[in-house]
Amino acid sequence: MRQVLEGSQAVAFAVRLARAKVISAYPITPQTHIVEELAKFCADGSLDGRFICVESEHSAMATMIGAAAGGVRTFTASSSHGLAYMHEMLHWASAARLPIVMAEVNRALGPGWNLWLDQTDSLAQRDTGWIQLYCEDSQEAMDTTLQAYLLAETVNLPVMVVLDAFFLSHTFEPVDVPGQAAVDGFLPTFQPKFQLDPAAPCTLYPMAGPAVYMEMRQSLQAAMDRVPAVYARIQDDFAARFGRSYGVVEAFRCDDAEVVLVMAGTTASTCREMVQNLRAQGQRVGLLKLKLFRPFPAEAIHRCLKGVPKVAVVDRNNSAGAGGIFAQELKAALCNRQERPAIYSYVAGLGGRDITTGTLESIYWKTLEAAEPTQDSQWVDVHEELAKS
Amino acid sequence: MIKAEMDSFEVPLYFSRSRLSTSSNRTGNWSFIQPAYRDRTAPCSERCPCGTDIPRVESLAAEGKHGAAWATILMENPLPGVCGRVCYHPCEQACNRGEFDTPVAVHALERFLADQAQRARVPQDLKPKAANGKRAAVLGSGPAGLSAASFLARLGYACDVYETEAEPGGVLRWGIPAYRLPGAILAQEIEAIQALGVTLHCGAAMDESLAGSYDALLVACGHGQPQGLGVPGAELARDGLALLHAARSQGGGNGAAPGARVAVIGGGNTAIDVARTLLRQGLRPIIVYRRRREDMPAFAPELERALSEGAQLMELHAPVALAREAEGLRLTLQKMRSLDPGPDGRNPVAPLPDPPSTLLVAEVYSAVGAEPAPAWMQLMERTPRLRLARCSLAFRPTPVAFIGDLETETKSVSEAIASGKEAALALDTCFREGADAVVERLAACRIGAGSALSMELYLGGARARRSPRVVRFPELNRAYFQLSDRARPRALPALASIGSFAEVESGLKAAEAGLEAERCFSCGTCNGCDNCRTFCPDCAVLMEGGSRRIATEYCKGCGVCVEECPRSAMAMTMEDGRS
Repeated sequence: MRQVLEGSQAVAFAVRLARAKVISAYPITPQTHIVEELAKFCADGSLDGRFICVESEHSAMATMIGAAAGGVRTFTASSSHGLAYMHEMLHWASAARLPIVMAEVNRALGPGWNLWLDQTDSLAQRDTGWIQLYCEDSQEAMDTTLQAYLLAETVNLPVMVVLDAFFLSHTFEPVDVPGQAAVDGFLPTFQPKFQLDPAAPCTLYPMAGPAVYMEMRQSLQAAMDRVPAVYARIQDDFAARFGRSYGVVEAFRCDDAEVVLVMAGTTASTCREMVQNLRAQGQRVGLLKLKLFRPFPAEAIHRCLKGVPKVAVVDRNNSAGAGGIFAQELKAALCNRQERPAIYSYVAGLGGRDITTGTLESIYWKTLEAAEPTQDSQWVDVHEELAKS
Repeated sequence: MIKAEMDSFEVPLYFSRSRLSTSSNRTGNWSFIQPAYRDRTAPCSERCPCGTDIPRVESLAAEGKHGAAWATILMENPLPGVCGRVCYHPCEQACNRGEFDTPVAVHALERFLADQAQRARVPQDLKPKAANGKRAAVLGSGPAGLSAASFLARLGYACDVYETEAEPGGVLRWGIPAYRLPGAILAQEIEAIQALGVTLHCGAAMDESLAGSYDALLVACGHGQPQGLGVPGAELARDGLALLHAARSQGGGNGAAPGARVAVIGGGNTAIDVARTLLRQGLRPIIVYRRRREDMPAFAPELERALSEGAQLMELHAPVALAREAEGLRLTLQKMRSLDPGPDGRNPVAPLPDPPSTLLVAEVYSAVGAEPAPAWMQLMERTPRLRLARCSLAFRPTPVAFIGDLETETKSVSEAIASGKEAALALDTCFREGADAVVERLAACRIGAGSALSMELYLGGARARRSPRVVRFPELNRAYFQLSDRARPRALPALASIGSFAEVESGLKAAEAGLEAERCFSCGTCNGCDNCRTFCPDCAVLMEGGSRRIATEYCKGCGVCVEECPRSAMAMTMEDGRS
């Protein structure tokens, strides 16, 4: 059934359809609407789950870990400082091999205090062992959340579903909400591969010394390595049932492109329009939308970009001292390959600053006209005087 | 996607786990300090003259165990129905909740529990000791005498209570008006004391010669002798206590014409009761007091009620003369001014240079205080006595105790009850262990650092395990308490209430009482909130047979339970048992 939903609601509806049993979160803008909606569902009985109020995000994730170890489907959501506060527990959740699903709404970290879109918060968690899936619109947020449970439970790794602050979390769009029976067919009842059970006491996660620790981390790495194949199969099944598919990356009019812009999130929608406009003027420009960030889909990216001369990565994030994070990842993924594009790195739209079709167009022209890429990221649409003051 | 297909991906899943449970890990070995359940003393019970175990009473009441809560009060106080109405509840001034929002309405709960028990005719189960063959005579059946007889009876003494009046109760029967203490309530509690084996002799002559026939004599004759005004024409004033007595025996009636203005001299509770009684007899009383309103010994709520019922107050006016005139009595008054506090902490007054004023009234009632009858004063003066907190004792030839108003500093019902208890415990100690043991034995029965004594401690009950250290407000973990309104007993509308002697205040309803009892912080006393067990990170708080135990083999000594105990009923202890 098509309904007009806020991006936050789309996630909450999906969590209800997934029949999550334990939800715990600490409010933080712009994530709060998601868990507010779920608290309402728990209260009105439309979701047979328990909402556990906690005093911090650290405790919210600890609650997820406890509940998931108990063998039930779990959900939390966070953003920015809240996610940063969870950091320790994020490592624990993945190494504990618990299939927790979290919605993370990209928001800038302070100071200066800023509620708006910036991807640095989720990308700063790239080494925590969480699968990360980025979404472009409300429909994708809903579908990705449903898929996330099946993916997490298949590979025993936690999944972060990432949404842009406000542009996605607070925007209303028509969303096709699948029926419960259809979702139950796609996502069966969770059958944990291990769980705490008072009837059969055991210890999870006792001390692991040098003789075994490394193998545990290699096992985690191997599980990550399985993700692209597993996720592809899940998306196929989803497409067969619901008629929608996203891939781990999406190449949009890249075939004969001279320049391909690479990005994640809602900026991709703006970029689609820019690509159509420039294509109409005869420019050979394409878009590569990143959906899966962890594990990094190097093969899929290489497949899409190997014949492209120039790639412009648009990062709504920055790792101070190293530049745009998607660009770093892309360079690392392609540097040992024979056929590879020149990679141009642009940092734009931090802290909620708008990225318009004009911004993206200027990036295209700049890339097209450049003789060779700069080593550092180039900052776009900045007031140079302010930045230098 | 079917499960088989999911499984076909053969995802590696290697992490640390063990078939052993963590119970094999004796984490208690790591600790050098461990928590312990250490109940402590609540400030309310320390302040209660009767030493009532208030937190225990309220926690039982909150659980709906009204009978057990009532029995807990009875352990320390034989007159809860009376005290729930007329005690000035110093406990509420000490209540830690007063620093949070408003004190727990302890008095209203006490009344509720007593009324419930009386209505349901719950039998009292005080388990008196077997008769020890000793006999005691109690002179006076007021609160002190009834209390002493009740505690002595529970300790195995045969008690005879002598009363000159036709009915027992003393000030409770004759001095406190029915609108504050209905006769039926008092009668039921006196019956319960008789049921312990106490024999009442009303209309009896009493003097010290009775001592010859008994093993002990307790003098509880109270302050029955009114003090005069000490001004020219004082004999024209009527006695306030006599008015109260007459009102209770005849149910009202007064010689003055309805609506006449009358004066009541005095600032104590008797003056207030006289004024309120006169209001109910259709008169218009003016309370004349020589000091300021805030200096009045009367309890403030009583004064406020009297004023709302229509009494007037003239503060800083001292009577200097009284004369009969054709129209009534001319009361000459000197305007006074308040001086700096004297050594007793009260503000004395001195006359202003203004010329005296006069007040023409139909009658003047004197309520400036009372003293013991001369015979008892003389007996006390010539008897060498051991002074205790609320009574005094002479040991030879027959032990004699002076109790109640004769010895208490604050003249109140609960103080008198406490005095009777102190004398009973002192006499029993004297008989069992000798006079020299009295002071030490009684000191061991004190609640906290105050002078209130506990019968339960004397009997070696469970309360004896509680530390006398009093829990103060900063020691509570207030995170677990929420602001809530204090229960307010309903009262008759002020002007309607003066139409009769019907009880002004009504009791709490059961639901209100439950909510009010839940407001009690239960300072220092475990009420089973289970925070310790909930928060223990090692699941080292075990529930066994309805009580909690620290599993020392697992407790790491982190102290979370102690910190999260809202009521400071736990403490960390060193391995050698030190706190």
